[in-house]
Amino acid sequence: MSNPANNWQSPEAEKRLARRYAAERQFKLLGLCAVGLSMAFLVFLIGTMLIGGLGGIDWAFLSGSDSTEPETAGVWGAVKGSLLTMTVTIALALPMGVLAAVYLEEFAPRNRWIDLVEVSINNLAAVPSIIFGLLGLAVFINFMGLPRSSPLVGGMTLALMTMPVIVIAGRNAIKAVPPSIRDAALAIGASKVQTVFHHVLPLALPGILTGAIIGMARALGETAPLLMIGMRAFVSTPPSGISDPATVLPMQIFLWSDEVDRAFVQNTSAAILVLLAFLLTMNGFAIYLRNKFETRW
Amino acid sequence: MTPTALLVLIAGLGLIGWLIARAKAQGLNTGRGALHSLPNHHGWYLALWIMLPALAAVFLWGAVSPGLIHSAVMADPATASLPAFDMERNAILSEAFTLADNPGAAAFNPESEKLVPAVVAAKTKFGMIGAALVILLAFAGGAFGWTRLTATFQARTKVERVVLLLLLAASLLAVLTTVGIIASLLFESGLFFSKVNPLEFIFGTHWSPANGSFGAVPLFWGTIFIGAIIAMVVAIPLGLMSAIYLTQYAHANVRRWMKPMLEILAGIPTVVYGYFAALTVAPLVRDFAVMIGLDNPSTESALAAGLVMGIMIIPFVSSMADDSIAAVPQAMRDGSLAMGATRSETIKKVLIPAALPGIVAGVMLAISRAIGETMIVVMAAGATANLTANPFASMTTVTFQIVQLLTGDQEFDSAKTLSAFALGLVLFGVTLILNIIALRVVKRFREAYE
Repeated sequence: MSNPANNWQSPEAEKRLARRYAAERQFKLLGLCAVGLSMAFLVFLIGTMLIGGLGGIDWAFLSGSDSTEPETAGVWGAVKGSLLTMTVTIALALPMGVLAAVYLEEFAPRNRWIDLVEVSINNLAAVPSIIFGLLGLAVFINFMGLPRSSPLVGGMTLALMTMPVIVIAGRNAIKAVPPSIRDAALAIGASKVQTVFHHVLPLALPGILTGAIIGMARALGETAPLLMIGMRAFVSTPPSGISDPATVLPMQIFLWSDEVDRAFVQNTSAAILVLLAFLLTMNGFAIYLRNKFETRW
Repeated sequence: MTPTALLVLIAGLGLIGWLIARAKAQGLNTGRGALHSLPNHHGWYLALWIMLPALAAVFLWGAVSPGLIHSAVMADPATASLPAFDMERNAILSEAFTLADNPGAAAFNPESEKLVPAVVAAKTKFGMIGAALVILLAFAGGAFGWTRLTATFQARTKVERVVLLLLLAASLLAVLTTVGIIASLLFESGLFFSKVNPLEFIFGTHWSPANGSFGAVPLFWGTIFIGAIIAMVVAIPLGLMSAIYLTQYAHANVRRWMKPMLEILAGIPTVVYGYFAALTVAPLVRDFAVMIGLDNPSTESALAAGLVMGIMIIPFVSSMADDSIAAVPQAMRDGSLAMGATRSETIKKVLIPAALPGIVAGVMLAISRAIGETMIVVMAAGATANLTANPFASMTTVTFQIVQLLTGDQEFDSAKTLSAFALGLVLFGVTLILNIIALRVVKRFREAYE
């Protein structure tokens, strides 16, 4: 820069420029540090869990249920509880979420009532999960008298929490279907309902499913609302139905982390690895779906 | 007949109705344009007429019949010998109902065994009546629907009206949930405030539910200190700088890998963060406190919980900042660069000020998420209500206390349990206000640049 042959800038200006370039480099470095720090934390967290838990994963651990002895305790009971709870959640949240998204995007008139619906959906998506637990406790258990600690109540509570996520994802997916598809169907005599259910919805389905899987992954890792409805029982046999007392995988992690016995530390880390494996698989599947079926109109 | 069997039966009848109505419509279809609606619509029309009244009957009967069964059992001579004391009698009765459902179970109370035949008889009787009623309604509905099916019948219009109602009902469920949350929180908090003075709850500085003092200020302070101060001190700089680096500086390939990696942080369950905070971060913080000369610091510290919570929030802040920076028109950026500003000067002097409303809204949403966060504070923050600004002290939060008060077996109407709902109401109110303001700001901000 400071080539004496063509020195057409004053030394002061050059110094100023150098300072500005230094500031530029510092700023960039700062950004890199921020990203690097976050990544380092992620690696540190997963590394800690891998070191602590990998040794604890064997067939007996994967197929056993909770026990007071750390050596014989396993996660199958909790995994089965999670599966049952998620089945209830998806069975309720997916149809309701999709239907609500279809209504709001395709049929809803523009008026104050529909604004109210939209505001409450957007807010529900940001309400702390523990509040849903309080709702489940007050309404499903105390008011309706459904069985405490059961996957049924857990699934219903999580469904209320997941539904807004599915509605928001569903609306975006439906919005992305171009109007020409609707016009074409309407032009050959299809009714509005036929247009939506035969043409718009199938095209929006990959987007909706991606949103649903992400919502389910969030529900699968949720602990706080289930604490409220009492899914923290000691369950030594896997639940056989949706009304049996059960526990779920994140809850098992919480319960084991509370154990005084140091031997449970390995179990806790191993259970965390199992949970993370489930979540990564679900998120990976969602990304695969999005990439495979993503259409640019 | 069990409700499940009844539902399967109704579905089966509906399917049969669908098939025969479709067949009838196909028979009516004499040529082009002879039918108003497609045969499928005729099928759906009949199926709806069979299933909807029957389903309504199932739910109504499910609500009414327990009372009928109960009074039938009470009318039985076997119950005359029961103790008059309410609680004892109810215990025996509920045991008799359990025994009637699974005959193999051991009876705790010999008197309940005598009641079993009466219970079984009443259950069978009312079960049969209910099933008969449901089947009758299904056939009546089906017969009515069948008479309506003609070639000119507008089955499509009718079916679509029902579909629209279904869609409307689904979207009203969201409103119902909101109303349910508000109603249940208000109701239970109302009970609480009838026992405890609201002013004492909001302004009192001593929290000890076991001794009946409900001053929630230490909880509010702990929540704000952990969620809105420590966590944000971590999350805002890191999240904002990550967003700036990834959108403005990073190579496209790097961004494609880094962004999903950052999002993994958001996808990790909070219980995992809590475990990590309690097991790994808290001892580190304690050692650090010892190193800087504090004597006897606690293992549960506000700092450990806040730090981990901040890291959890990073991707959230980052993606909100990302969105708002991307919404700034390209022309503003180009203008600044054309004037000779460096990239960092453009970012600091043009992009961030222009994107500030969006970023602030994002931070508000992040705070609302942090103060509602439960598992990290439950596992790492501690149970003692401390009104201090020392980050190494153990501190408790609103969410921690809700969990603490509601887990375990307690009487449901004690002030201790009900106070959890009052705390929930405060939490819900604060997050709701933060969310509404933030969503409004984001909307305004988008419109300003469109």
